Amino acid sequence: MSTMMSDQSTAQVLEDLRPKRSWRQARSNIMVMLMGLAALVIVVPLVFVIGSVISRGAGVVFRDFPSFFTKKIPIKSEDIGPGMGPAIVGTMLITGFATLVAVPLGILGAVYLHEYGGTTKLSKLIRFLATVMTGVPSIVMGLFIYVIFTLRFGLSGVGGALALACLMLPVVIRATEEMLRLVPGNLREASYALGTSKSRTILTVVLPSALPGIVSGCLLAVARAAGETAPLLFTIGAARAVQGNIFKGANTALPAQIFENAKSLFPGAQERGWGAALTLVGIAFLFTLTARIVSSAYQKRR
Amino acid sequence: MTTEQHIDELPNLSGSSQRADKAFRWVSIGAGLIVLVILGLITYTMASRTGPVFRHMGFRFFTERRWAPPKEIYGALALMWGTLFTAIIALFIAVPISIGIALFVTQVAPAWLRKPMVYVMDLLAVIPSVVFGMWGVLVLARHIKGLYKWLHTTFDSWPILGSIFGKPQTRSFLTAGIILSIMVIPIITSLAREVFETTPQSEKEAALALGATRWEMIRGAVFPHSKGGLVGAVMLGLGRAMGETIAVALTIGSALGQLTFNVLAPGNSMPSLITAEWGEADALKKSALIAVAVTLFVITIIINVIATSVVQRSIKRSRGAV
Amino acid sequence: MTMSKRLTFAGAAVAIALTATACGSSKKTEETTTTAAAVETTAAPETTAAETTAAPSNLSATLDASGSTFVKNFLEEGVSRFTAANSGVTINYAGGGSGKGRQDLADQIVAFAGTDSTIKDEDLPTFKGGDVLYFPAVVAPITVSFNVSGVDKLSLSPTTIAKIFQVQITKWNDAAIAAENPGVTLPDTDITVVHRSDSSGTTGNFTKFLDKAVGADAGAIWTLGTGSTVEWSPNTQAAEGNGGVAQLIAATDGAIGYVDFADAIKAGLKFAAVQNKAGKFVDATLEGASAAAAGATVKDNLTFSAVWAEGDAAYPITAQTWIIIYKNQTDKAKGEAVKALLNFLLTEGQTFAKDVNYAPLPAELATKAIAQLDAIVIPA
Repeated sequence: MSTMMSDQSTAQVLEDLRPKRSWRQARSNIMVMLMGLAALVIVVPLVFVIGSVISRGAGVVFRDFPSFFTKKIPIKSEDIGPGMGPAIVGTMLITGFATLVAVPLGILGAVYLHEYGGTTKLSKLIRFLATVMTGVPSIVMGLFIYVIFTLRFGLSGVGGALALACLMLPVVIRATEEMLRLVPGNLREASYALGTSKSRTILTVVLPSALPGIVSGCLLAVARAAGETAPLLFTIGAARAVQGNIFKGANTALPAQIFENAKSLFPGAQERGWGAALTLVGIAFLFTLTARIVSSAYQKRR
Repeated sequence: MTTEQHIDELPNLSGSSQRADKAFRWVSIGAGLIVLVILGLITYTMASRTGPVFRHMGFRFFTERRWAPPKEIYGALALMWGTLFTAIIALFIAVPISIGIALFVTQVAPAWLRKPMVYVMDLLAVIPSVVFGMWGVLVLARHIKGLYKWLHTTFDSWPILGSIFGKPQTRSFLTAGIILSIMVIPIITSLAREVFETTPQSEKEAALALGATRWEMIRGAVFPHSKGGLVGAVMLGLGRAMGETIAVALTIGSALGQLTFNVLAPGNSMPSLITAEWGEADALKKSALIAVAVTLFVITIIINVIATSVVQRSIKRSRGAV
Repeated sequence: MTMSKRLTFAGAAVAIALTATACGSSKKTEETTTTAAAVETTAAPETTAAETTAAPSNLSATLDASGSTFVKNFLEEGVSRFTAANSGVTINYAGGGSGKGRQDLADQIVAFAGTDSTIKDEDLPTFKGGDVLYFPAVVAPITVSFNVSGVDKLSLSPTTIAKIFQVQITKWNDAAIAAENPGVTLPDTDITVVHRSDSSGTTGNFTKFLDKAVGADAGAIWTLGTGSTVEWSPNTQAAEGNGGVAQLIAATDGAIGYVDFADAIKAGLKFAAVQNKAGKFVDATLEGASAAAAGATVKDNLTFSAVWAEGDAAYPITAQTWIIIYKNQTDKAKGEAVKALLNFLLTEGQTFAKDVNYAPLPAELATKAIAQLDAIVIPA
């Protein structure tokens, strides 16, 4: 009786297990499918947004190639026709200047954090605040620069560049420190053993070997900064001709032009807005892809 | 670390190189300190300009629902709610998708698919906010009307959903939330990926060896390891969503004083109000707008401080566990 | 080309002294129907006159400016014509809103600003550059535009407009609307109110009209007060800029909103006749706007309000824009360029204003404004 019982229960257990196993498997499959679905879902907005930008922007950008990239922005926004030259120049100058400010500072800051500070209280604090600073809303940075810079020195490209630099700085610091961490310690030791000073070691051994990673991190930071609008609204004004001097006088940039033209009623202006969007997205993608290529080439080499 | 300190104590070769060494050290410390300086300056310069509005409104600035410039009433309550509400809607959409993608990339996807997925997220991350905004207002808001009407009529008589899907308008909390969700998905996904990758291979293999299915392995081995990190990732996404300006300004519908749970109603958020109101601001209103910016700054900083410490602790713990 | 350019400078300079003739002569720089010969003959005596007055012979400056978006279309036209004739001058008008323009001028960030309303007395001390001069540029109607299928014409009283914009009247076939529009078949459509999402001088002037007509002191039907931002009901819709409002009205059946005249025309919107102070229903036209400006009381500093003005023909929601500058200019080149631009806008600008859907200033006001150009102090 008892053996019967136990046999029965073993069979029972086996019986129970079989459908359960398949239910468990099915559930697992469902969840995996949902994950795949999530991965698919995110491609949808990318395709839609990029699709709209290309379908509405390509017309004006390539209609009279390359005049869209070189001509002035029409003074009358009603006018149909190309011209985003000043905004393209402005974006390059402003983002370029921001890069000039933020990248050296960011790299040096990271050098301090990783090579000097290590685990001291100060460097822990700076590291922590740099991470926190990546979350400061861009509009707050814009207002901040407006208050401390624009009110004193007027509208200029530099104002916008400083706001962008403030946004880029923590990103560069974080990315560079990650890369410095990957530099093997024995490389440093070898350099010290040769009698090289610490600063020299950092400049000639540590940074060069981390360079590709740092470059790719900086390129990503630049790509993000180039698309920021809110910090520019308060700081750069609205030029319609090429303004080469970023230190004095109103300037313009692609994001500012997109914002301006998205609000406009005129088909000509809206079209220019989409064209500017296509150009900006193109620039941002270019930087991102370059970053990816640089870092993957680096990884291969390692 | 110890070897470095050791080497620091070694006698240096020449005086000039020692001086150069010192100088470089100080320069790099200075660069690091700039982070502190900027954060300090932001707090100080902006807070010092909020005097007029706080003299006028006092603490009521934070508890007053209305924002009525003609009557000189400036309250940030509805704005804070609007900012939080859109961000929560965005997370509601973004978190499941982000975790799904992160799991897919780290646990499921074949190696050849991982890289393209990361590329897609990268591209999504660099599409400028203003482009999303323009797309949102010129494309999305025009095509989503039908869905909103359907949501409203379907759930109208339901107890809670009825008030969540109230009277629909195309520029609303939900429209802004959808745009925001697309913008924060790359952020949350990349953090979640990082967190999931810290799960020790041995534990995953152990789970599979015990006969666990893939999902059970994820639930039993991956999730417990990454709970803290995920919370932090979500909070960082929250901070980012709350600070987003242009895309929200163009799609949220700019209605003042909205304290509602109706996701289909228009509202306003702190950053969006600042851009919309800055153009026509007298001294008092300007001070009120800067006070809004300071409030936003403080809130996002608090969220980021919590998020960062949660993430750091969880990553440290899992690294320590290996 | 160089000849015509010189002529413009000449014309610009002369205009300070000889308003009426300059008006005619500077027009020649544009490709009008006037023949080249006619230009030569009429311009010749003026060129000599210009040489005797200190003419800004070689304008070269970059002027940054910001402010009113209401006047933007007019300024864009004016700037494009002015800089075509004065290639040394670059003008960057950023828009951004009247308040931003005033603030930027106060902070000396810009050379001039466009504003739809005057500077508050308590803000005057913040103007770092001292005294400010107001130059009226144009006036224009703010339309009450609507999109109701089957309805082409509407007449609305301030009371009805106030109730519609406060969402107290919610259907197009409401008795109040029907009473003012006998013979019009009004549909049973919901009214969608569209307003500005950004704070704006247009909102300021529109609400000023309602406040003056039916506000606290006139029946208290309008309770939202007046300002560049008011607390619209959440059951209304918002859009960015005049263009955005016009777009949204055009896209929504049953919509009504306030839009500046130029954008309403460009968007092909229909707009209502509005009852004015004299009790007449007046269409939104440039003539109606000019009449309103003529009916307004102008102060010594050339400020006035054309909203809810006297006169049978006056359109009651008429807004005005001033270009404001500092009386004491700090830079010679910029000062001269600003002066020349203002002169151009006050003379030739008044003739092409209609082409871009703005109403010219009443002649008397324009003359006063031109006379005020002499008050500008430019450093040697």
